[in-house]
Amino acid sequence: MGTKTVTKKSPDNKVLILGFPGNGLIGTFALSYIIQHLKMEIVGEINHPDLPPTVFVENGEVIGPIRIHKKDDLYAIISEIPIYSELSYDFTEAILAFCIKNKISKVIVPSGVDAQYTDKKDIKTYGLTTDPSLEKLMYENDVPKFITGTIIGTDAAIITSFRNKRIPLLVLYTSCHPFFPDPQASIHAVTTLAKILKIQVDTSEIQKRVDYLRIQHRNLMQETLDTLYPQEAQLPSKAPPIYR
Amino acid sequence: MTRDWFNVDNFDIPILQLGDDLEQKILRPLSCIKEHESKWVLEFDLPLVEKKDINVYINDDEMIVVEAKLREVYHDSKFTRHQYEHFKKSVSIPKNADVKKISARFTNGRLVITIPKIFQGTKIKIED
Repeated sequence: MGTKTVTKKSPDNKVLILGFPGNGLIGTFALSYIIQHLKMEIVGEINHPDLPPTVFVENGEVIGPIRIHKKDDLYAIISEIPIYSELSYDFTEAILAFCIKNKISKVIVPSGVDAQYTDKKDIKTYGLTTDPSLEKLMYENDVPKFITGTIIGTDAAIITSFRNKRIPLLVLYTSCHPFFPDPQASIHAVTTLAKILKIQVDTSEIQKRVDYLRIQHRNLMQETLDTLYPQEAQLPSKAPPIYR
Repeated sequence: MTRDWFNVDNFDIPILQLGDDLEQKILRPLSCIKEHESKWVLEFDLPLVEKKDINVYINDDEMIVVEAKLREVYHDSKFTRHQYEHFKKSVSIPKNADVKKISARFTNGRLVITIPKIFQGTKIKIED
């Protein structure tokens, strides 16, 4: 994958937050909120010839589905399309190259883990890190350690690659419904991420829109499930994603 | 420039899902099914719905049908102003289901239908 960035010189204490569609759409919800809240500007995009051709038009301007945003020393990479498993390592390599080029000191990835809850008080965010230095960050921010589980898809590709390259990575796994968009759990993910980044957030607006967001993002959730569980997507009874 | 994911009115493209019915103002909800040792658990995501406005039944084609009325009209985009008032979806009942013992509950906008399995097969005696 090729990246196109516009960068300015700044101290080497740069943090990258990364979010893409996965369980409960936690990563995409959380990144969207932080980008919006901090008014982070677009400084680049990530493209790949095998990605489904998609662009968004915002106030008459064309923007791609995988974008790089920046504000001060904080970078954000958000994907609004699911990353197919065949592209996971290319996507990861593009992120790695970006981190090395921009001297990113740590990467934080909000994501979701299948742990269905009946009350929002039961939602928890767990941390999984590839670097001991980030365990302190987890401890300081009351993030319990992700102890046992199996991770598949792009999350697994990112964890493996960043561990091998020794770039400090912290994945924040928030308990969520894995098969439905879960903005309620995303509020917890946003709050935890904001605490770690030491920024103030007000999630009351998301709270008001939870039901609408669940309806609005049905398509993206379905497409994400089709990429995570492709054998089910190949069943002849299902229509191609373009008709969803 | 940023994209406001959290403002429904800012979405410029109507999100049509397979099975959504513009004329009848019907949305097709997401659903999933999980198999357990003794049962199937079928779940529907029904935001903007009250328990009293849900209708669940088995039709003549042996399918579970879920219908629900939204508590307010849902608009999918500021340009099209498509309006939706209901959810509706039909799902096939698994083959080994104990249809008479199907139960349902509704929590946090999610309808969970439990479909117990009927034991099928021949019991094999363990000899001394």
